Order: sequence, then C-alpha cells, then structure tokens
Amino acid sequence: MASLSEEVLLVVKKVRQRKQDGTLYLMAERIAWGPEGKDRFTVSHLYADIRCQKISPDGKAKIQLQLILHTGESTTFHFSNESSALKDRDAAKELLQQLLPKFKKKANKELEEKNRMLQEDPVLFQLYKDLVVSQVISADEFWANRLGDMNNSDPTPYNNKQDVGISGAFLADIRPQTDGCNGLRYNLTADIIESIFRTYPAVKQKYGENVPHNLTEKEFWTRFFQSHYFHRDRINTGTQDIFSECAKQDEKGLKSMVVQGVKNPLVDLLSLEDKTLDEGYGVSTTTPSTSNANRTVKESSNAAIIKRFNHHSAMVLAAGSRKGQAAQMGTRGILTSSSLLLNPFFSLAIEYEDLQRENRLKTVALNLKKSDRYAHGPVPLQSQHYTTSQDIINSVNHIRHEMVNYKPNLTQVLSSTAASSAITALSPGGVLMMTGTQQAINQMIPTEVQGELKHLYAAAGELLRHFWSCFPVNSPFLEEKVMKMKTNLERFQMTKLCPFQEKIQRQYLSTNLTGHLEEMLQTAYSKFHVWQTRRMLRKT
Amino acid sequence: MKLNIDGLLVYFPYDYIYPEQYSYMLELKRTLDAKGHGVLEMPSGTGKTISLLSLIVAYQKAFPLEVTKLIYCSRTVPEIEKVVEELRKLMEFYCKQTGESNNFLALALSSRKNLCIHPEVSSLRFGKEVDGKCHSLTASYIRAQRHSDPNLPSCRFYEEFDSVGRQVPLPPGIYNLDDLKDFGRRKGWCPYYLARYSIMHANIVVYSYHYLLDPKIADLVSKELAKKSVVVFDEAHNIDNVCIDSMSVNITRRTLDRCQNNVDTLQNTISKIKETDAAKLKEEYRRLVEGLKEANVARETDVYLANPVLPDEILQEAVPGTIRTAEHFVGFLRRFMEYLKSRLRVHHVVQESTPQFLKDIFEKVCIDRKPLRFCAERLQSLLRTLEIADIADFSAVTLIANFATLVSTYSQGFTIIIEPFEDRTPTIANPVLHFSCMDPSIAIKPVFQRFQSVVITSGTLSPLDIYPRILDFRPVTMASFTMTLARTCLCPLIVGRGNDQVALSSKFETREDFAVIRNYGNLLLEMSAIVPDGIVAFFTSYMYMENIVASWYEQGILENIQRNKLIFIETPDAAETSMALEKYQEACENGRGAILLSVARGKVSEGIDFVHHFGRAVIMFGVPYVYTQSRILKARLEYLRDHFQIRENDFLTFDAMRHAAQCVGRAIRGKTDYGLMIFADKRYARADKRGKLPRWIQEHISDGSLNLTVDEAIQLSKHFLRQMAQPFRQEDQLGLSLLTLEQLESEEVLQKIAKIAHQT
Repeated sequence: MASLSEEVLLVVKKVRQRKQDGTLYLMAERIAWGPEGKDRFTVSHLYADIRCQKISPDGKAKIQLQLILHTGESTTFHFSNESSALKDRDAAKELLQQLLPKFKKKANKELEEKNRMLQEDPVLFQLYKDLVVSQVISADEFWANRLGDMNNSDPTPYNNKQDVGISGAFLADIRPQTDGCNGLRYNLTADIIESIFRTYPAVKQKYGENVPHNLTEKEFWTRFFQSHYFHRDRINTGTQDIFSECAKQDEKGLKSMVVQGVKNPLVDLLSLEDKTLDEGYGVSTTTPSTSNANRTVKESSNAAIIKRFNHHSAMVLAAGSRKGQAAQMGTRGILTSSSLLLNPFFSLAIEYEDLQRENRLKTVALNLKKSDRYAHGPVPLQSQHYTTSQDIINSVNHIRHEMVNYKPNLTQVLSSTAASSAITALSPGGVLMMTGTQQAINQMIPTEVQGELKHLYAAAGELLRHFWSCFPVNSPFLEEKVMKMKTNLERFQMTKLCPFQEKIQRQYLSTNLTGHLEEMLQTAYSKFHVWQTRRMLRKT
Repeated sequence: MKLNIDGLLVYFPYDYIYPEQYSYMLELKRTLDAKGHGVLEMPSGTGKTISLLSLIVAYQKAFPLEVTKLIYCSRTVPEIEKVVEELRKLMEFYCKQTGESNNFLALALSSRKNLCIHPEVSSLRFGKEVDGKCHSLTASYIRAQRHSDPNLPSCRFYEEFDSVGRQVPLPPGIYNLDDLKDFGRRKGWCPYYLARYSIMHANIVVYSYHYLLDPKIADLVSKELAKKSVVVFDEAHNIDNVCIDSMSVNITRRTLDRCQNNVDTLQNTISKIKETDAAKLKEEYRRLVEGLKEANVARETDVYLANPVLPDEILQEAVPGTIRTAEHFVGFLRRFMEYLKSRLRVHHVVQESTPQFLKDIFEKVCIDRKPLRFCAERLQSLLRTLEIADIADFSAVTLIANFATLVSTYSQGFTIIIEPFEDRTPTIANPVLHFSCMDPSIAIKPVFQRFQSVVITSGTLSPLDIYPRILDFRPVTMASFTMTLARTCLCPLIVGRGNDQVALSSKFETREDFAVIRNYGNLLLEMSAIVPDGIVAFFTSYMYMENIVASWYEQGILENIQRNKLIFIETPDAAETSMALEKYQEACENGRGAILLSVARGKVSEGIDFVHHFGRAVIMFGVPYVYTQSRILKARLEYLRDHFQIRENDFLTFDAMRHAAQCVGRAIRGKTDYGLMIFADKRYARADKRGKLPRWIQEHISDGSLNLTVDEAIQLSKHFLRQMAQPFRQEDQLGLSLLTLEQLESEEVLQKIAKIAHQT
C-alpha cells in the first residue's frame, strides 16, 4: 500500500498503538502507522479525514496523541521512547497542526455539502444506506459523480461565501478556569485564535516572528495571557515583554486613526465650535487637568480602559468590514465628488420625509390581525383549523348558486349501449383490463415489500447508471471501473436481490416482481461479456 | 404649499405641515408685529428652523421696510450649514412658485479658519494660528511697509478684495461657507473679508452666537448691523452660559509667565524703535493727548480683538496721562502684573467683589481705577504703533489688559475668586484667579436694546419663565408647543429601583455604592439585549463615568455587554471622541449595533444628533447636576438669589433638568423617528424635577412609569419597540399630526390647533 512516491515528512519510532510497538509516519497527505518489523501500515488516515488531534496533559505519565476522525472513530498513539517521548510527540503535534488546517477547510466544506445533500434528499439517503453502508460500493465511488454534478449546477452560493464577523466579546469568551492549584487555564480554540489575529494584526505578526523558532505555541499564548496587553487596564508595559511592542503599535494605530479625522462633518467635534473662546476666557468648570502628573494611578488606568475599549471596538469593526472596504471606498468617492453640489450629510440632516408627498414604490405592508400576539411573543401553536361561520355560509351559498345554475349538456352524452359496453370493457376481466393484474400490485403486495422493491430499483438504477456510463470504454480508468461495476452488480444481486427474492417466495408472492430487475442486470452482464470477449480477442 | 398666517402669505416648501409648525408661525408673526422679543419652545425634529425661515422671509418680503435683516445665530458650524441648506430649499421653492429669480442675499459667516483660502494660512490647524497669520499678512502697517519693500509676503486674495471687491456687491443668492470659498476662489477675493463686508447689506446672516454676544468680537463684526433686524437665537437653552463665558477671565501662573515675556518683548521693541524711529512714538503720544484714538484709521484688518466691555461702557475720553507714553504704560503693566503675582501667592481661598479688589490694588501698588479702564485700548494702540505682526503671541498680555478693563468697569455682577489649588488635589499648588461674570444679562443687554425683535427658541426651554428672568428682558410672547403625534414615538421611563429593590440614584452619598453601580450595569446590559442598533448612555460627569466604567469592567459587565453590542466611550480628547462617534455610527449602520457612553454637558450631548437607528434608546444615569462645590457656582447662585429672587435649588434643578432633557432629546429627531428615554434615577419621579422637563416629554410620562424596576422597564421597552417596529405610513399621520392645505383651511382644525399652542 505504501507507494514509494509519497513524501515522508516525519518518522517517529517507538510509537505504540493498541499495545503494539511500531513506527509513525507523517506523509504529505496522510498519517500512517505500521507495527514493528512489518512492511505495511495497519493504520492510515488521510489528513482530510481527521477532525482534530488531542494530546495528553503535561503531567501525565503516558505521553499520547489522539486523532479523532470525522466519522467519530479515534486512534491513539502512545509515544514510548523514554528519552525523547515528549519531544517526539510535540514534533508530531506541531507538524500535524500545520498540516491539518490545510486539508481541513476542503474536507469540511465537502463534508458539509454531502451532509446537506443527504439530509435534503431522502431518496439519496436511502440509496446511500443501501449501497455504501451495506458496503456494496465505497463512499468515494458513490460521491464520485454526484459532487461533480453539484459543483457544476449552482456554484454561486458556495463561492460567494459571506465572511463571518467577529464577536465583540471574543476575549471575554476565553474564560479562565482555576485548575485547583493556584493556576489558571485558558481554553483556546482555533476560532478564538483567528479572532485574535484578525482583530489584532500586531499579535499575528508577533506570532509569525516568534513561533515556532523562539517560542513554542503554548509559551506564546501563555505570555499573551500573562502580558498586560491582554489585561487591558495596564499602564506601563515592561520592556522585556514581547507584547509591549504590540501595545505601542496599537497606540500608533489609534493615533493615526485619530489624526486621519472623520469624514462626516456632523460628528466632527473638532470643528463643531465656530469661535472658541481664547485661552483664559470663560468660566473654567474645573476641567481636570490632563497632564499625567496630576492624575492618580487609578485614574490613568481608568482612562486606559476607556481607550482600550474604543480601540477594541474599532478593531473588531474594522476586522468585520475589511473585505467590504473597497466597495465602501467606492461609494464614499461618489459622495465626495457630489459634495460640490450639495453636501450629502447636510441635505440628509434637513430632510423631513413625512412632510413630502410620498413618491416611492408602494410596498405591501405586513398586516397583522393580532398585533397583541406579535407584541407579546410566541404562544404555543394550536393546531386548530379555524373556519368562521361566515366562511361556511359563504361556501354553502356558493354551492347552492352553482347547483341552481347547473345545466346538463344533453347533446354531448353517449348512447346507453355504448356506455354499458365501455363499462364492461373497463371492469376487471373486461377487454381493456386483461393486463390489469399487474396494475393491482399495490393491492396484492404488502407495503413494506413495496418499499423494499422501490429501494432495490433505486439502488439497481444507480449501479446500472454507473455501469452504463463507462461505455464506450476508451481509457484504462474506465476499464477498471467497468470491471469493478460488474463485480458491484454481481454483489448487489447476491446480497440484495437474492434475499429479496427468497423473501417474496416465502411469502408466496409472484416472483415476477423482480423479473424486470433481473432482466436489467442480465442485459448489463451480456453487454459486459460482449465487451470482454471483444477485448480478449483484441489482446490476443 | 402657500399658507395664510394671520393675513401674511407664507411660502412653505413642503406639501404637508405639522400643526405645531402652523401655531409656531402664528406666534412668531405676533412677536414680529409687536416689534418685541419672544421665547418659543418647540420640540426638536418638528421643523423649527424651516418654520422660522419661512415666516421671517415672508415677512421681509411683505414689509421690506419694517424688517430689513434676519440675523440667525446658531451654536455650531454644522448647525449653521444646516440652516443655510434649509434656506436654500426655501428660496428654490420661492423661485419655482413665483417664477421670479431670487433677489435675496443670504450668507453664513464663520471664523477665518473655516473661510480662509490662502494656501499656506488655511493649512494651519488652530483658529488662533490662522487669525494670527492672516493678521501678519494683512495688517495695514504691513501693507504700508510693502510699498517700500515689495518682497514682503502678502495675501493676494485680500489685496484683490481690497482693490475691487468692495465696489461690486455680492450677487444675490444663498452662500454657505463652501459657496463663499468657491466664489472667493473664482474671483480671487478673500472670502472672509468679503463675508464680513457683505453682512452689512445681506438680507439674511447666519453665524454663531459669539458674533453677537462676545463684546470683543461683536464690536468688530456686528457693530453696524441695522436696528431693524430680527435676531434669532436657535438652540438657545444654554445662552446664559455663553453670555457668562464671554465676559469671564481666568488667570493662572502660566498666563502671568507668558505675560512677563510679552511685556519684555514690548519693552525691547520700544527701545529699539526709539533708536530708529522715535517720531512714531511721539506721534502716538500726541494722538493720545488729543484723544484722537479714532483718528487713526483703525482698518478692519488691524484690530485683533476689540474692547472687552460693552460699547456703552467704553469711556469717550482721552487716555489718562499716566499711561500715555509707551514706557510708562509698559511700566504700568509690569506693576499690575507683579500685583497679580502677589495675589496668586495665597494659601487659602479668597473671594472678593470688584470694588474690594480695586481698593486693594490702590492701597498696595497705587494703581488708580481710571488708567485700568483704558488698559485694553491703550494696549491695542501700542501694538499697532509698534507694528507687531504676530499678534497671536500676545494673547497673554491682551488677556491681562482685558481683565484690567473689565474689573475696573463693572462694579456689579462680577466676582473675583482666587483658589490656591484644585479641590481634588490640595497638595499641588496651582493658583488660579477667576474673574467670573455672574449675570448673563450684562452681555446680552445690548442685543435686546439694539434690535427690534429677538427670538429665543429651542427644543428645551422649560420652564419658560426662567429665561426672561435670568436674561432680564420682557418678552411679548412666550409659548411652548408640544409635538402632535399619531403614534407615541417616545417612551420616557423612570427607573428608580434595581431588581433587588435597591434605590437607583447618582446622588453623592450613594455614588460609590456597588449595589447602585451593579444595577446600572444590569440596566445597560439588559437594554443592550433588547434594543436594536444604537444605544446612547449619558453619565453625570466624566469622573463618574470613568469610575463606573472601571467597576463595570472589573465586574465583567462590560464583557457581557460586548456580546450584544460594541462599546464606544467618550474621552476628554475631541479627536478621539470624533473617531469613536464615527465608528459608533458605522456599527449602527452595518447592523452590529453599538453603545456610546457619554457625558451630559459634554460635547456629544450638546452637538450631536442621534437620528433614527443611531439612537433607539437613551439612558440617563443619574441627574446631571452641575458640580455644586465650585465656588464660582456658589457665587453665581447667591447672586441669582439676591438679584433675581431665584432660589438656589430651583436654579440647580432647572439647570440639571435642561441638560437631562437635552441628552434624551438627542434621540428623537422627528415624527417618524422613535426612541426610548430612560431616566435612571429615582429622583426624576419627584414632581419638582419632573415638572421642569419640557412639556413634550412630560406629557408622555404616565403615573405607572414613575418608579420602575429594571425588569419592569425592560418589559415596557420590549412592548414599545415592537409596536414602533410596525410600519408607519403617511396616511396614519394625516389629519392628526400632519395637515394638508385643505385641512388647514377648515375652521375645526384651526380651533384644534389653537389648543396646541400652550400659552404660558
């Protein structure tokens, strides 16, 4: 199985799996493990299949790494090399950490899509159960041309995925937990890390600079949480702190934002006052002097909190709208160019829309019959069907009216003989009903058998579709596939069709039911034989 | 539509009209007819400005000899721009209806900073710098010097304006600041001086309060405006403070140090000139002897700031002998400065009246009252004579001279308080001399005397009768209009208790109480979960907000709020706050929702509107009382009690409630808008507080919503918000809060309208 062309990124020896010693290999696209002394892998997972990895806490005696797959299965590796177990594990972990996200996105998206399709389409789901779960064909084969269809049919909703903003409280969501012995534990998820990076590019830059060559990831985050940068009421950051630079950058960013000023003159407090009094005039209402000397430590830390909050909110806002900025700039440009005619901010501010005659499009307003109910929130739904007495009276009147106006069209009726012959012909046993036995199938056969038959048809149809799609066989790939499909068909006949036939025989139902299915399979087989013999001939 | 307001044809540029606008115009017409003053309160967002403009323009067109000019004063630059835009709309409507081209000239005037088009000067950031630089390019002696030395820098825009701009009047039209600049660029004229020149013959002038109320500026800019003008003070709820500010002076040790430098510079310049050009000084001396101070053409560009006292207080005499020569005057200034320095060296608080101060200065350094009164004028003359270009540098000595003139001119209505340190930091010496005006009527008196009609209007002027009292005038009309509503689009709730029944209040005793702070936090947290888009919360002071934010942060309340909305907070730094505001609006705009924490009496509460989704709820944490321990305030309260018979508590409550009303009123800007107004303090429930809120808010406070718990308030808010989210169409309003022309002509409706105007 181990094809030689695969690039092996990491080899870790002395790794136990299920109490068996072996070697762990990390390849470009998968992770694999083989027992010692054997030449094949007993465990092999594609990265795309792995949902996440977990590691054992530091203090534990056993140093383990667990992989959890999307299917819910998990595999645990135990690093047993005494001298370097921890190092080995961390090396594997780091590498996985870098590799997994690359595959994750793709896998996730596909998986989600598959899930959605199965949920939306019960027939497909049944087919999936029939074919894949019962292992007639593999999941890959099943999806092979489904997904192709899907991607071509309507790609727009998937490509234009809307960017998700950042929760304003993401830092608050990292709730520290005490671990009982004077320590704090922060739970970080990939989402939170992404939020931090998107909101504070400075931290991301630091991360890129320091991890992994200067610090391990864990150390990095530990320092992050310890630093005053995280504790927003800090006043002075130590110089040895790697985040003090971030704080300075933030400060700079904030300042540049402030210096840029605001575009909307209505909120520009600087140019609000027309003629401010000169310095020294006016009643000074004890404005607290802003010089730092006069401020107590507490006050300046309070001021720092306020600054932080403003900055944080601005950054979160910016992170959310970074994508849309280009578009926004466009509209702003238009606004400024038209400002020569009329300043949009002012003309909007003096607008009284209700004093003007309405000339916008009439829209249909939501007309609530019971606004109380709307105002008081949802009430338990009662499955009553209301028919008001007025409705009933109306409908009775309507019917009466119809009846009064009913006029039989006597010129268009059949003669009585013709009518009676038609009735006999259409009665059971009549001329037109000779083949009617089959039509009555839904009366003769219990519903469960009917259902089963339907599924069989669907499954067979799917397999046959795969089979026939291979013709004309003009590539080695198709050749292989057609062989496989043939075996699949046979397997289907053996595992699905035959038991069904036996079952209906047991129930003394006509075996004729599966006749058509068999016929279809036979046609396929004969086609296959024709093709095979022809191929043999060509080969010889 | 065309309206008939008591026999006057008024063009109104909309198809419909609010009933209260109609009554407002009626009342305004009465004021103009009587040639008297008026106080009119109408809720914000009911189209006050357009009603004012429509009526007064119509009046001007009908009786061009009765009312020659409209002077519209507003507070902020955006407000001024908005007024001009509304006026433009009105004038376009006139043209469309009558088919005549517009023959009105209306323009906005602002400081040089907003009007300058000189490439170098206009790039300066601060108004003071722009003024100083402009002065250094355009002062008459600089221009005279240029005749001999053409290499000196000049402002070509001013030169161009000076040579041709005055002959051709500004063509009729509506000019906002940008229009003026465009016009100036096209013609190559200085827009600032063009505007200042044009306001003399313009029909409508829109500018800021200071141009009328601050005597230092008013004397320069507004001196020659016609008597037959109508003056409108919009957003006038704070007008008393503007008046007081324009007459008050603070002197710190730093001011005196800078003043020392100024005086040294003066000294040096004088001795230098003496060597080179002694004739100049002699000439000045001769002029002063003869009392010919006006003989020297004080060109418009020369005067930086005029006399700080009001025109009728300026002495029409020659400058007294003791300060006539330049050296004597500089010596005089030195003595005065040393005296002030010695006064700042106190260790306890001193409070005295102006006569006491004058007596003391006479005893200690033998400075008489009379030369002090001429100080400001003498300094102006000296600076002109010495041909000092950069006048902005001399602001400190100008301040001292102005103080000298003020303190020796007014014996009443002012107080002097010397504080050796700030109350909060008693260990750090930072002496300040406050010369503070306590009587707003002093500054506004000439305006009332000079112009035939002065209209004071705002959305929040309750209680109406207090303004005529503190501004000391007799109005012919006083009226408060309510907002007619087809649906109750405002929902004032008074939250007096937390869910744990703790009384909520920002009063001093419970200010640090954790239970109160926590409950305030809960209120905000729960509101953040149910209110869509923007919430604005106001605190009583910046200090209080800082403390609360810090303890909310420690208690994790802010984190929980962040799950619902982004948080933005006002800071003392205006630029930072502007950015926060813009981000706040962005967050409301893109649907994320945000909370703005802000301060009553701050810039945000005074100048920023939160229309529609920018403010779906306003929460007022506490009652925004002014800092009552301030000595200046105490002195003012005493003065009010002694001279106007206004009790301290009445004034304090009035002041607090007008600010609270301003804050909550920010969220409602029209009848299609809606918003919650949450007063989170149990004291609001008391009749004396509640009764001072504007009528249009008061009438929607039901007895059931006087002392709610947080939970109850949330329930009511939910219900309110759901109701408001229903579609609201024009048809729903018609006949109730919106009238067509036909409806306006029916007798029945007119009677109904008459009831709305509430005469007080």
